Amino acid sequence: MNKTLFPQHGANMGQPVPRYEGRAKVTGEARYPSDVRLPRTAYAYLHISRIGRGTVQAFDLAAASAVPGVIDILTHETIGDQIKQTPAIYQGGYASDSFRPLGSAEIAYWGQPVAVVIAETYEAAREAAHRIGVTYGPHSPPAADMDSPDAVAQALVPMAIDVGDFDAAYAAAPIKIDARYSTPAQHQNPMELFATQCMWEGGRLVVHEPSQYVNSVKFGLAEQLGIDPERIRVISTYVGGAFGAKGFLTQRTALVAIAARRIGRPVKLVATREQGFTVSGYRAETRQHVQLAAEQDGRLIALKHEGWELTSRADTVAMGAVSMTTRLYACANIVGRVNAVSADRSTPGFMRAPGEMPYGFALETALDELSSKLDMDPVELRRVNDTRTEPVGGLPYTSRSLMRCFDEAAAAFGWQDRTRQPGSMRDGDWLVGWGCASAFYPTQAGNSAARVRLTADGRVHVSSAGHELGQGMYTMMAQVAAEELGVPIERVTVSLGDSDLPPAVVSGGSAATASVAPAIMAACDAIRRRLGVGNSPPAGVRAAMEASGMGVIEEFAETRAHGLPLESVRDMYRGKALPTGGVSLPDRVQFALGAQFVEVRVHALTHEIRVSRAVGAFAAGRIINPRTAHGQLIGGMIWGISSALHEHTEVDGRNASYINANLADYLLPVNADIVDIQAIMVPEEDKLVNRAGVKGVGEIGVVGVAAAVSNAVFHATGRRLRDLPIRIEHVM
Amino acid sequence: MTTGLSTDRRRFLIGSAVTGTIPFMPRDAASQVPEPSRSPGSYPSVDLTLHVNGQEHRVEVDPRTTLLDALRDHIGLTGVKKGCDHGQCGACTVLVEGRRELSCLTLAVSVQQREVTTIEGLAASDGGLHPMQQAFIDHDAFQCGYCTPGQILSAIGCVREGHASTPADIRESMSGNICRCAAYPNIVVAIMQARERMEG
Repeated sequence: MNKTLFPQHGANMGQPVPRYEGRAKVTGEARYPSDVRLPRTAYAYLHISRIGRGTVQAFDLAAASAVPGVIDILTHETIGDQIKQTPAIYQGGYASDSFRPLGSAEIAYWGQPVAVVIAETYEAAREAAHRIGVTYGPHSPPAADMDSPDAVAQALVPMAIDVGDFDAAYAAAPIKIDARYSTPAQHQNPMELFATQCMWEGGRLVVHEPSQYVNSVKFGLAEQLGIDPERIRVISTYVGGAFGAKGFLTQRTALVAIAARRIGRPVKLVATREQGFTVSGYRAETRQHVQLAAEQDGRLIALKHEGWELTSRADTVAMGAVSMTTRLYACANIVGRVNAVSADRSTPGFMRAPGEMPYGFALETALDELSSKLDMDPVELRRVNDTRTEPVGGLPYTSRSLMRCFDEAAAAFGWQDRTRQPGSMRDGDWLVGWGCASAFYPTQAGNSAARVRLTADGRVHVSSAGHELGQGMYTMMAQVAAEELGVPIERVTVSLGDSDLPPAVVSGGSAATASVAPAIMAACDAIRRRLGVGNSPPAGVRAAMEASGMGVIEEFAETRAHGLPLESVRDMYRGKALPTGGVSLPDRVQFALGAQFVEVRVHALTHEIRVSRAVGAFAAGRIINPRTAHGQLIGGMIWGISSALHEHTEVDGRNASYINANLADYLLPVNADIVDIQAIMVPEEDKLVNRAGVKGVGEIGVVGVAAAVSNAVFHATGRRLRDLPIRIEHVM
Repeated sequence: MTTGLSTDRRRFLIGSAVTGTIPFMPRDAASQVPEPSRSPGSYPSVDLTLHVNGQEHRVEVDPRTTLLDALRDHIGLTGVKKGCDHGQCGACTVLVEGRRELSCLTLAVSVQQREVTTIEGLAASDGGLHPMQQAFIDHDAFQCGYCTPGQILSAIGCVREGHASTPADIRESMSGNICRCAAYPNIVVAIMQARERMEG
């Protein structure tokens, strides 16, 4: 048991201060959006479609309307054209999909909202929703997955990558790997359900909703309702986990807003766990094909990575992470291809390390297969293919500490004691296997604004419409302001999660700190300039404030991230601050990198698979707070174990429904599944990525773990498993 | 992976709550009794007196109302959280007569004469935190905080039951409380610390 849980202050790290909102979270005082109590609240309950494709022919609302306490029932017949179309974010809009809520009789996927009951109590709304009768028109079975004959694949040509002559190089190479991989649909399942409360006050609408981007909800909802965005305020001061599920406007919000307007009272919706599987996006299933060719010394000659990702018929969504997997290692002949496969499903979306998890699984497993064929240590295979420039465009990495991560993690893990032969490390009835893989995540940032106020008594208030998802946003914002102005962190207060505050980037893509910290720093600069202490140490700020005779200095600053055009700053003020970076820059590539090592134990008789320990080392630029960053990293690694062994949204081929849409059947790791997790933060300085030097740690911990687990299972059993999740039946 | 209650255990809990012998707990006569809230529904509503964190609360609820919803929507104790409403995640864990129970699987009518403790009832009146609350802060045993009230109450139950002697014991006994942020290693160390202070 490792008792030194989080690292202390180290090179290029801030102090591991406890969370700003820690007391609120352990006392129940933290108010999540569904905790806000509004006067005379009425309760909403969704009725969702029970077919995967077709139309609603008729409703029978008599029994539902007769339930005492029912106030209103919304269907497409009552909503009609009241909710205007807002494009999905993939088309430059605000919404997580392009379906118009209750916009027509058409059913495009199982789980689509077809009616909303509003009642005096939650119990009455629930009962009435279950008493709604729906007659569906004649319908044929939906295309539930990629294997359905009705699913339509299309090549996404703009995502294609071609370097050198892959076919010729592959044909002539001495050592080759050609393998196919798959990853399943997965759902983020944050502990907090998808809740929305709406209250109209005069002509103004207040929305309480857990969100990674309050301004996407504000501006998208304004577009849907046809009202001035300044009449809408979205509040989300605590978010009970998000992981990509709460990134953008979903269909539910406009429905609750309209219900509240119709009945002239606040309305509260808390979608059930089952309904949550289709309220927002999810990680779509993938199929992948990887071909590698190498010299006898392990140097890559040719690399081809092709992916197929499931999407809805309405929206073409693909994470397409071949853009990254083709840029990680030196190689002269490269092909990358991405295909979207449309089926009758809800629109997929972002889930922690959205493309990096599945595509990283395939590439890093293929590399292990190559090392095995070469009889070469997998760490050494990464070393001979290490590079300072990415091979597709020849652009430099701003910094790259991949092999340092491998060396530190290998040493902590004890990798030198590994015997190479599969099955050679048996411990009694347990087959022991050790595996490793690279972790990578693009370093991104978006535009953000912040306001900082310094008062004569040395108190500081910092505000920005960022979001506290559990990653430590409150703490980070307080810490940056305290450091920049030389005040104790106890003197700093923070406001966030409110669309009335200075706008910030969407809290996604591991970009929140990299985006908001520079804005806070810029506002602090302005305060120092006003005080005439420019570049002097922060300690001088307090004295200068006292000497100035001023009561309060308040400064607002906006920052533009590298790679974004000038006009993007104004987009931030209409809910369109999205991050860029990674492989999307004209002059360089930016990645956080890491190394994952796991020990797997497979029981020779029961075939039970356990990850008995995992060591990850990560280099991610400056770490503002090693305590909260450590939480992100170990949490990510456990997500990686979960992607390897547990999570799988099961689709019923008959109606495209999710069979296991609950927390008993959708397997997530519990405490007993997690034994020994160690995350090492490798010091790294990168002054190019952004002013704060931060690369972000929210997602990289997930990446590579599934490959490390499958590689370890191979080492333990000699069975090469290329489909996730890996379960008992696959090693029997 | 999850360790939801089995059907038998569920039936037992509800049965024992309704029909079992119930110890009488003396109440502070001066405690404030708020006006009952009105509640139409398809079943005749019932008048309940709930004893929560040492206070009496009179509520009028639909008989189908869970303890979870009664606490959150009728009494206003929103520290208790709804994560699944099916007894699969543990976010709604409260202590009933000192025992950890899932408030989403407990009907409010079944706990009338029993003392319920929620996260709001743990800190001392001077604001001093319970050793378990402090340990969760000290060891960063949470991230988003949504499962945290349930984790803390379950952890207190775990220590009181004598299931916190080893890390392996804690991991097993805390496996009814899912933490999607996966702060599990920190939760185990926090419980080890708090156990020493609770027993010391």
